Amino acid sequence: MSFDFAIIVDALPKMLMGIGLTFQLLIISAILGLTLAIGLMLMRISGKWYLSWPAQVYIYIFRGTPILVQIFIIYYGFPQLEFIRDSFLWPMFRDPFGCAIFALTLNTGAYVSEILRGGVLGVDRGILEAGSALGLSVRQKFIYLTTPIATRLALPAYGNDIISLLKSTALASTITLADMTGIARTLVAQTFAPYEIFISLAIVYMILTWILQKSLGRVERYLGRYMEK
Amino acid sequence: MEALVGWWDDYFWGSVVVAQVFICSLVLMVIFGLIGAAAKLSNSVIAQKLANGYTIVFRGTPEILVILLLYFGSAIALTSIAQIFNPEVKFLDVPPFWAGTIAIALIVGSYATETFRGAFLGVNPGSIEAARALGMSNLQTFIYVRIPEMWRLALPAFGNHMLSLIKDTALISIIGLNETLFVAKQAIGTTGEPFIMYIVVGMIYLAFSTVITLTVMGLERYGQRHMVNVR
Repeated sequence: MSFDFAIIVDALPKMLMGIGLTFQLLIISAILGLTLAIGLMLMRISGKWYLSWPAQVYIYIFRGTPILVQIFIIYYGFPQLEFIRDSFLWPMFRDPFGCAIFALTLNTGAYVSEILRGGVLGVDRGILEAGSALGLSVRQKFIYLTTPIATRLALPAYGNDIISLLKSTALASTITLADMTGIARTLVAQTFAPYEIFISLAIVYMILTWILQKSLGRVERYLGRYMEK
Repeated sequence: MEALVGWWDDYFWGSVVVAQVFICSLVLMVIFGLIGAAAKLSNSVIAQKLANGYTIVFRGTPEILVILLLYFGSAIALTSIAQIFNPEVKFLDVPPFWAGTIAIALIVGSYATETFRGAFLGVNPGSIEAARALGMSNLQTFIYVRIPEMWRLALPAFGNHMLSLIKDTALISIIGLNETLFVAKQAIGTTGEPFIMYIVVGMIYLAFSTVITLTVMGLERYGQRHMVNVR
């Protein structure tokens, strides 16, 4: 057993070919997931039971089951259902990429909606009272007071969720997608050099996590620029 | 639903495996987390560096990669060691159960390190001074004052770590552990009914998560029974 750097030199460029797919999965499902999360969060804080209950059930189900199971239900299970094969969404569910995006979006949406709700509930009551005293409507208060403050409050936790989303994209390799992890698994099956290949890939992921963390820290500092130190 | 007939006992034993993995990795996770937190809070620079390295590595790598690396990596190491003694050995691996259990315990333990560290820092210095004033030794202070107070602070985050653990057990099916997801794959091979089989797996995990959530809620209430001003 030895650590062969020649294998890394050979494998790294091949694995990096999958970085585009990893980024596509990350960015598309982050944006769609955030949209879904905002909807779910609004449903939960609406105060109407017929809106808040479905959102709560949805969040409970998607946070209570492993994302791998969700991916398998969507990729392997959905094509079995008649009405999905007949629907206009079929081209999406036929494609592993579409399934991966769909699963990651649904999953991250559930987590992020709870983070956003935490941010909204964390807004100081006094600020909202000041808004009422100035004669702002409920909608104006939400847009001009709650949203900017809640964004700042939710950002650290949201950053952690983006990082776990990056890590979840590696699961797309289980449904035949050739993202970085998928390519690495194929290479390991060919060369049987798991140390070299998986460790170098782990370093690539760590660098990506580090970059994400640094840039989110920068956004956090920008949003907190009016705060007293 | 007819497709499920004959598979219930397999799912049951799969769930038992999930529970076993969960309990073993929970114990290991607490140990890793406490060691990590102790290292981060110690005065030794080397221990701090090591603990920081541990959390950076395991929080920055996808779970599936850690599991694959631990399983295949240890298999290669074991095989080459075994070949020294007996050249006829072709392949020797750590059982997927232990490779997977250790892998997810290491991952979640890196998150628990931060939780425990924060909780130990959150212990009221006044309580420790009071313990000193009562003549308690360092060990007594640790057991009777620090641990009970720290647990109350760590519990909410610790509950989330337990949920991550139970959900990460699903990933161990990738290296061939015969837990529920693995059972579902076998069942699909025979019946050709992926939808219902995976839904059952989802419901099993949902049940596990529900039990954990309720337990943590109960523990939180128990931990706060002496507190004033609690709801």
